[in-house]
Amino acid sequence: MTPVLEFLNVSRSYKRGAPVLRGVSFSLGESEIAGLLGRNAAGKTTLIHTAMGLLSPDSGSIRVFGLSPTEDPVEVKRRIGFVSEDQVLPPGSSVAELIAFHRYLFSTWDEGLERQLLDRFSLPRGSRIGKLSKGQARQAALLCAVCHRPELLLLDEPAGGLDAVARREFLETSIQLSNREGTAILFSSHHMTDVERIGGRVILLDEGKVRLDRDLDRIREDMCLAVVPRASAPDAAVIERTSGCLRVRPVFDDWHAVMEGTPETARRQLAESLGVDGIRCVRVPLEELFIELVGGER
Amino acid sequence: MYLAVNPSDELPLYRQIMRQIVEAIAGGRLKSGDRLASHRELSEQLVIAPLTVKKAYDELEALGFIETQRGRGTFVSDSPPPVDRAGRLEHIRRDARKLLSEAYLSGLDFGEVAKILKDADREIARGPRREKEKV
Repeated sequence: MTPVLEFLNVSRSYKRGAPVLRGVSFSLGESEIAGLLGRNAAGKTTLIHTAMGLLSPDSGSIRVFGLSPTEDPVEVKRRIGFVSEDQVLPPGSSVAELIAFHRYLFSTWDEGLERQLLDRFSLPRGSRIGKLSKGQARQAALLCAVCHRPELLLLDEPAGGLDAVARREFLETSIQLSNREGTAILFSSHHMTDVERIGGRVILLDEGKVRLDRDLDRIREDMCLAVVPRASAPDAAVIERTSGCLRVRPVFDDWHAVMEGTPETARRQLAESLGVDGIRCVRVPLEELFIELVGGER
Repeated sequence: MYLAVNPSDELPLYRQIMRQIVEAIAGGRLKSGDRLASHRELSEQLVIAPLTVKKAYDELEALGFIETQRGRGTFVSDSPPPVDRAGRLEHIRRDARKLLSEAYLSGLDFGEVAKILKDADREIARGPRREKEKV
């Protein structure tokens, strides 16, 4: 089956700047929901913009529904929905006018879904967009992004600045779309619990590269953090050579190593490779793991 | 029945769902032939990825707790999964010793452990209490 979204070794830099994406590869299948994680400036927004064809890659290839988003922009955009934190909607239009405009653009527009979402969000149809609250504006954007029943929904920090209730409604709408239409969803978020709730899979970007791409369940069951006394190894490279070791960084008097496998197997592997005792291995929440994988030295 | 999931729990979401359904069967809250919520219903009620629900159901089906009838839905199996009774008893005895040692090392006495077991028995019979979500 053709993947819904496919990145093959994609690189992209801005004028006179360091590359933002450096050889990114991954693919997303039908009904798959993946959380895109990364620190600020890790390349998340650039990745989403290249997927939509707003930016073209310097090298590598991007396929959306098997098509190139820069060569077939109309066909691709017709089947994509997009919401971002800093999306600009025309402030002078009313909610009704904004929706009518989108209904006119998309032949697959679902008026039943439109009515359902207008009710659920209690959006005031006559209000000017500029007068809406932040949460309402985002809901209007979501409505416009999903009522043409897209096959791929790209959400760039969609819940940024929203309260817990509005965020939950946003997630509910996305889940329903994925369930009913088989829509694949790629969403970037700083809310780790949102990712843990609806993301079956996590793609972690770090300095323009995919540092981790796997199922959330496997991350919880098959990854752990090892705390190694600093004196046990002269430098990080010695620990990094241990099989299953993903990253090492110094933290105060210890080395912190992110390891594949259960705490028991990781401890055994490190004890063998370093020839020392006194290594602690523990399972840690996704947020901690994330910090260990992309955080700096301390 | 009621299910509740906690995304920040150490246990993966699919395992949280599996555990609660197995407990409901063990506690008699779910009986042979009872229909379970569909993947879609459960994923929308709990606001979690549909593939997570599918994974929980697939594992429960492989273990023999539930069965899917094409076009009709998912049901609790007629007979509980076949168990190696002697082996299972040995397993439970070992877990009991482990439980007691942990309790004694934490300064509890036998009476207090018995009370914890009674509470657990009640919870299995009644289902989870906090943050109820209907299924």
